[in-house]
Amino acid sequence: MEPLRKPPNQPPALGTFLLRKIYSEELFEEIHGDLLELYEERLETKGRWSASAHFIKDAVLSARNYDLMRTQHYKTQNNSGAMIRNYIKITLRTISKNKVYTALNVLGLALGMAACIFIMQYVAFEKSYDRFNANFENLYRIQYNFYREGELQFECAAAVPRVGPFMKEKMPEVVDFARAYPLSMVVSYNNINFREDRIHIADPAFLKIFTFPLIKGDVETCLTEPNTVVISETAAKKYFGNEDPIGKMIRADGQYSMAVTAVAKDVPNNSHIKFDFLISYQTLNNQTDNQSETAWGWYDFNSYVLLRDGTDPTAFNKKFAEILYEERHEEEEKYNYRQEFPLQPITDIHLYSNLLQESEPDEAGDGEAVFFLTIIAAFILVIAWINYINLSTARSVERAKEVGVRKVMGAFKAQLIGQFITESFVMNLLAFTVGLAIVTLGINQFNALTDSSLGLSFLLSASFWLVAALVVFIGSFLSGLYPAFVLSSYQPSTVLKGKMTGKKGGILLRKALVIFQFASSVCLIAGTLIVYQQLSYVRNLDLGFDMTETLVVKGPGVFTADSLYGSTMQTFRNELLQNPEITAIASGTNVPGDEIFWANGIKRAEEPNEASKTIYIAGVDYDYFPAYDIKLVAGRNYDRTFGTDTGSLILNEAGAKYLGFQSAEEAINQKLSWGRGDKTIIGIVENYNQMSAKTKVTPLLFPLVTGRSNFFTIKLDKNGVSDLTKLFNKVEASYSTHFPGNPFDYFFLDDFFNRQYNPEKKFSRVFTLFAGFAIVIACLGLFGLSSFNALQKTKEIGIRKAIGADVGHIVMLLSKEFVYLVLIANIIAWPATWFIMNNWLDNFAYRIAITPLVFIVAGLLVLVIAVLTVGYKTMATAKSDPVKALRYE
Amino acid sequence: MKGNNLGELEELVLLMVASLSEEAYAVAVREELEKSASRVVNISAVHSSLYRLEDKGFLTSEFGGATSKRGGKKKRLFKVTSAGYALLKEAKETKEQIWSNIPQLSFSTI
Repeated sequence: MEPLRKPPNQPPALGTFLLRKIYSEELFEEIHGDLLELYEERLETKGRWSASAHFIKDAVLSARNYDLMRTQHYKTQNNSGAMIRNYIKITLRTISKNKVYTALNVLGLALGMAACIFIMQYVAFEKSYDRFNANFENLYRIQYNFYREGELQFECAAAVPRVGPFMKEKMPEVVDFARAYPLSMVVSYNNINFREDRIHIADPAFLKIFTFPLIKGDVETCLTEPNTVVISETAAKKYFGNEDPIGKMIRADGQYSMAVTAVAKDVPNNSHIKFDFLISYQTLNNQTDNQSETAWGWYDFNSYVLLRDGTDPTAFNKKFAEILYEERHEEEEKYNYRQEFPLQPITDIHLYSNLLQESEPDEAGDGEAVFFLTIIAAFILVIAWINYINLSTARSVERAKEVGVRKVMGAFKAQLIGQFITESFVMNLLAFTVGLAIVTLGINQFNALTDSSLGLSFLLSASFWLVAALVVFIGSFLSGLYPAFVLSSYQPSTVLKGKMTGKKGGILLRKALVIFQFASSVCLIAGTLIVYQQLSYVRNLDLGFDMTETLVVKGPGVFTADSLYGSTMQTFRNELLQNPEITAIASGTNVPGDEIFWANGIKRAEEPNEASKTIYIAGVDYDYFPAYDIKLVAGRNYDRTFGTDTGSLILNEAGAKYLGFQSAEEAINQKLSWGRGDKTIIGIVENYNQMSAKTKVTPLLFPLVTGRSNFFTIKLDKNGVSDLTKLFNKVEASYSTHFPGNPFDYFFLDDFFNRQYNPEKKFSRVFTLFAGFAIVIACLGLFGLSSFNALQKTKEIGIRKAIGADVGHIVMLLSKEFVYLVLIANIIAWPATWFIMNNWLDNFAYRIAITPLVFIVAGLLVLVIAVLTVGYKTMATAKSDPVKALRYE
Repeated sequence: MKGNNLGELEELVLLMVASLSEEAYAVAVREELEKSASRVVNISAVHSSLYRLEDKGFLTSEFGGATSKRGGKKKRLFKVTSAGYALLKEAKETKEQIWSNIPQLSFSTI
């Protein structure tokens, strides 16, 4: 006996389920029985599959009996199924009767929904950063704040190397820590050379606390030995093709050999830290005599800690600050500085962190922008729903007779409300479908425009459909409710007598909604204009240096004999300068727009050691300042003819002020202690913006660096180059001859510099796109309303024309009302926009003032659009033959 | 609207119920349709006809006893009412009347 066994040969549950849905309680049993009997019979004669298939077929075909069976038999009088069918039927008839209104309504709603889907996907991606890490809730980056004499000097994303291990030793809450030291090097394997920017020197725990799975290799051992490296899948393909990379040796900058121990999966796009190469930390320790393990002052190390579940970061920060004080206060007090290492949740980094030395600064998201976009998405959807409400209430006059008849036939108010909400549901559903089609077709264009990489995979996620269903339901309810109430409240006696005019209240609400729509449009247009103005302002700002016609080539990473570098460089320089189209060549450790990571302590020679201050440093050669047209305000530039210039220094004006000199002239010939021994200030250059106009000029020190440098700056002829390709080939040829084994990496400085505005550019494009969406939707609504208005006034227009009014007069009459609305909308929108945009502009160190002109332009633009929209329809009405109008009815 | 006129399938079903007398429930009617009228129809169509005929008052019904077959479910047994018989009879007579009007000749020309 097997009592628990399921009886064999059960019919498919789907069929039973369908039957239960189709038939009422009373009928279900007997009909189910009939089908079961047939099923059993077929089971014997035709086999299991055929029987099951027939069972389902029978059940499906039973749908034809849906209304018959459910409604008429034996007891209940529930006819809601039939009524809903009737509502849908009437809806479809209304839809097909008023094709223009329907199209306007659906198109407006669909555009709104499409915009919303786009924005929500974009926002979801921005918010998904670093959440792929299994431990993301407990992962933190150690931020580094530095105070001198109690004043905050900087907040940095990279901390000192000692703090990670120290935190783990002292704080039991820390499960593990990992440091990552970013580098850019030329990587070679056989004859394949590339400059790689995504290199990190990382602790073994790096791969464990983050979720960066390995494809090959062992996560426990791959980063423990010195001179080992983990590479990404892409890097493996790039250097090794189909070979197995494990155990192969690669060279970095021509001098360091490292063995590949593992291959990691490519880092996802939504990671704030990205790598192609991870070099074992021990490699660095060997190079630096363990400085990279013990230093408290060298801050280039992105440090991460994984905390135990449920640790409160605020309490943790406080506790650690006390422990740190114990350990460090003597040293800190001696030199009068203070260090702080607060934890920063990694999920906040992409959107909300804007510190020095961020891992991917060009990719930085903007939490504020994302928030704005979410609001815009909501606005657009609301505008679209308002259209629906407006058009439906405006058209309610047409539906009044239907409502009257229904009421006379015994319809309750609740039933009528139900009918109009059903109608709104059908419209919303239709709009959602069209909206989805727009998204599917337009996603590539959207990606191109906003420089993002959204896919359609969200269509497969349950959460998307859940939200979509929610939006459609809530939307149909909200947008259906008001028209439903207006319509259902008509008195059948008045309506059927034919005396039906729009209600005063309805008109007022309609006006308020139109004002809201146009106020939003003005806001968006004015906002977009201001964003554009600001961006073009900062791009054309005099940054204090010349970046036109500037080609930058990355300096050689690989060079065998340092002693020969000077003479090779000289030959290379001379060779290039023979070309008349090349006007100058300079080298330096940085170029403008490249974030400086090199910093050291510096002080005036006469001051005590404790006065030492940290200053950022950019090494330059003799030709750097002339090439960039950076003027000296005092003193002189480095000069080849002076043998002593290795003992000289140049500062920028901000730097001179930072070190306490009253004026540039005063600083000349003063001594500074920097590195080994004292050096003399020989020149002060004017301030220029090393980074974008978002930040103020920082103090900088420019020592003379004649050795290897990161960048060669090649200035081209101001009047343009006749044949750029030819010139390129020449430069590349000499570069390759003199610096073999180095890839020829180059860029134009203006592109490179302006990439710092990418986040703003992207934001402004998204903004413009959706401002456009909002205006189109608002116009669709206005078009519908005004054409309806014109239709209602056909008789009035006919009479006026018969009396002698001309077309212009009538157009004025019909448009006047809308013009007032747009004007009121402007008055509301202006202060709101001013307030929001002023806040945004405060993000920039250099910003424009908001001029009234922007508002006037935006206002006029909206007014013109509105007048054209209204005018198009009213013109047609005004021109029509009065005889026809008067015969109407 | 349709008055007492029956659809073709409805008339057949009514006939089958009459001919089955005792065990006239949906599955049996369907089987009988196939056997004696060579009409293969889906069970749902039979249901639809049976319940509609009942609405029109040509059939009545009651539950038959439960059996071990068909998952132990009850079956609804139908019976033709007097109105039903009258209708069937009338239909038959109408047809016969029309048949008798057809001249014999017309057959030979086919």
